[in-house]
Amino acid sequence: MKRKMQMALSLMLALVFVFVTACSSSNTEGGKNTTTPETTNATNEQPAEPMTIRFATGNNPNWDDMQSDIGKFIKEKTGITIKPEFPVGGSSDEMLALMIASDEYPDLVIPGGATNKMVDAGALIDLRPLIEEHAPNIKKVYGEYYNRLRWSKDDDAIYTLSLTGVDHTYFDSGSGFQLQHQVLEAAGYPEIKTVKDYEAAIKAYIEKNPKTADGQPNIGLSLNGGEWQILISVTNPAFYATGAPDNGEFFINEDTYEAIMHYQRPEEREYFRWLNHMNDIGLLDPESFIQKYDQYKAKIASGRVLGLIDQNWDYGQAENALKAEGKFGSTYARFPVTLNETYQDHSFQGTGYLPALGIAITKDAQDPVRLIKFLDYLASDEGQVLLNWGIEGKHYNVVDGKRVIPADLLEQKTNDNNTFVKTTGIGNYNISARYGDGVKDPSGNYYTTTFPEQIQAAYSEEDKKTLAAYGATTYKDLWPSDDSFPERKYGAAWTLPFEATSEANVIFQKTQDIMKKRIPEAILAKPEDFDKVYDQFLKDLEDAGVAKMNQEFTKMVKDRVELWSK
Amino acid sequence: MKPLTEGPPKAGVTLKRNRFWFKAFQQRYLYMMSLPFVVWIFIFSYVPVWGWLTAFQNYKPKDSIFDQKWVGFENFIELFQDERFYIVLRNTLAMSTMGLIVGFTVPVIFALLLNEMKGQFFKRSVQTISYLPHFVSWVVVAGLVYKMLSTDGGAVNQLLMWLNIIDQPIQFMAKGNLFWGIVTASDLWKEMGWNSIIFLAAMAGIDPELYEASTVDGAGRFRKMWHITLPGIRTTFMVLFILSIGHLISIGFEKQFLLGNPLVSDFSEVLDLYALKYGIQMGRYSYGTAIGIFNSVVSILLVFIANGIYKRVTKESII
Repeated sequence: MKRKMQMALSLMLALVFVFVTACSSSNTEGGKNTTTPETTNATNEQPAEPMTIRFATGNNPNWDDMQSDIGKFIKEKTGITIKPEFPVGGSSDEMLALMIASDEYPDLVIPGGATNKMVDAGALIDLRPLIEEHAPNIKKVYGEYYNRLRWSKDDDAIYTLSLTGVDHTYFDSGSGFQLQHQVLEAAGYPEIKTVKDYEAAIKAYIEKNPKTADGQPNIGLSLNGGEWQILISVTNPAFYATGAPDNGEFFINEDTYEAIMHYQRPEEREYFRWLNHMNDIGLLDPESFIQKYDQYKAKIASGRVLGLIDQNWDYGQAENALKAEGKFGSTYARFPVTLNETYQDHSFQGTGYLPALGIAITKDAQDPVRLIKFLDYLASDEGQVLLNWGIEGKHYNVVDGKRVIPADLLEQKTNDNNTFVKTTGIGNYNISARYGDGVKDPSGNYYTTTFPEQIQAAYSEEDKKTLAAYGATTYKDLWPSDDSFPERKYGAAWTLPFEATSEANVIFQKTQDIMKKRIPEAILAKPEDFDKVYDQFLKDLEDAGVAKMNQEFTKMVKDRVELWSK
Repeated sequence: MKPLTEGPPKAGVTLKRNRFWFKAFQQRYLYMMSLPFVVWIFIFSYVPVWGWLTAFQNYKPKDSIFDQKWVGFENFIELFQDERFYIVLRNTLAMSTMGLIVGFTVPVIFALLLNEMKGQFFKRSVQTISYLPHFVSWVVVAGLVYKMLSTDGGAVNQLLMWLNIIDQPIQFMAKGNLFWGIVTASDLWKEMGWNSIIFLAAMAGIDPELYEASTVDGAGRFRKMWHITLPGIRTTFMVLFILSIGHLISIGFEKQFLLGNPLVSDFSEVLDLYALKYGIQMGRYSYGTAIGIFNSVVSILLVFIANGIYKRVTKESII
């Protein structure tokens, strides 16, 4: 017994030592490595002295650890190695909150939902002077929208560089309601405009094919409602389907800028009633609200979920797995489905440039000037082409003055995107200001790889067949055109966060907890109980002080309109 | 606790003092050996306590703790007025009490049974296998539990269906009233073997002569268990039990965080989770600290009460 104890102890000690030395060696890595990497490009004037930057960001399962082609290129060119810090499960908000609590930060962060808190805590430095002095490319990219980066009415500092593409044109739609191609084919490509059409298509298919080819039961409709994506998959579609644009948890009256929580609209009650009905007739996956994201993706990847209501970026990974297996019939087509024909999907109502999710330099950064120069390089024409297209001759060729992705890479990119991202690094380094889709560089090529021809080329045969049946070339064509609705003067209200420690923010948090409980409850209730639960939901919101919060939010929207129309 | 070496009281304070220093000098190596641990405890358990000040402020991390706005008991008042607080308090106490009861009785019974085994090899194997789950992280355990209890091909539902006990799969994870049970059961599965180790060790320390004597007196197996083994581990048991009572309110949140979902949030949310959500995550550090203070005060009270009861019953004290 005693000897065992000793052995266990020494083992533990040994482990601790290994751990400690491992940590310290990786820390000094940047300093020890004095061999200057070869600079492949002579135009680069920055000293390529090696430097490791720590970078807190959301989860990226395809992160390549600088080992991809682009990763290596960036390391060689700028000498910078990025060491990301990912959150453990879920969103990065907890990780960032803990950083604030300990008052220690990495060099770069994407603060996302915690931007407010970090600014409050004085964790982020004002980038405006740095940009003015060292970053002409960044300034050029934002152009006329540069001032939209301003923090608030009283504070003209720039704390985050928005990562959303500037002058972005949407060529494709990743949202809406999804149906498997095989379901559409079996039904002879019927019109899918309202939830009734959508329901009928699923119902017809599942009655004929209760099981998949390999004997597993088919699932009519599964929602990603067990984690934070309940917002994406359950509650946001409620306003899309009832003709309102995405303003986060709010509905904004376009004339008076009066804000209410969107659940308070009577139209949306009817949308949830429809989901309740789907559950009642057994088409809704009963696990919709308790499944974890992994379970959800596993179900999709098994090819037995006929319909989804989600965003492409959320279910895309699972769909990629289907593509890699060649099960194209089980991949999804997307439709702008509404509650009934009187509504139009407002997904693409214009907002002007929306500074949203951004990157920030923290007060603990070792060398802010070097960092902003690094970000500036990524924002340069050369940098943007590198990040989006890759390396010439390797990831694309210039044919007749046009950039073309070789066929084998394109095939991998479409059908095995996860591997593609991991090996090439394309898509992993979009951490600076950049242009959106549809913007052309001086050579007349698009900056990004998303443009109409490319999108169509990337569609699978199944996609093309389905689109042809509906007389469209992209899914976007099924949506109302961009100019069908007037531009929103406040941008989109989901980019407006409450002040971190304000009372309204506490109320907001409470309403979110209430919503996450009551909405699933209402949907899973017996149809005759639905109204009772929904009334209780609205009453709970009232009790939590929703009126006060709406009032506060209305004021914020009005302030934004004033600030931006200057 | 009184030092065991103290002799009968001497006359005069100075003499006593001198004796103390004399003793201290004599035992200087012992003192020096304990010094690092005293320092360690001081730094990690006592120094941070001054941060409690933030509970009475409206703390913003930007400024130092002395430049903050003082708000008195505002954070506590808000805490005690929030009805959510009472729900999470109920959940915390319910789950920890259930865990305490099950988490002590089952390992003791398990250790008792294992202790009666003859074959060393078999005994060791069972022991090792049973404590292995302790090293599995809760993230993995939660994944297993979800898979087992799933309606979509989960093992438990399939078994129940096969036995014809139910004809429709049960949504275990969606039922609030089952949540406490699920947490307790998965905790038991994970920690049973581990918790029984210490009891097994205590049992190994019981003088074998006692057993021999009782065999001579004609005691059977159960008599021996009841009159020798159980009293033999009583002190160990009580020490662990009272210390656990101190932890009743701070049960952590991993299990609840990973096993919970919005549908059962009225049963799954515990104090620590509440502090995380409405405190740290929202940047309300003062509010979070107020919850922490409440936690500590209740914990200390619980330990003293438990010890008091134990003392009254057995005339022994462990603190």
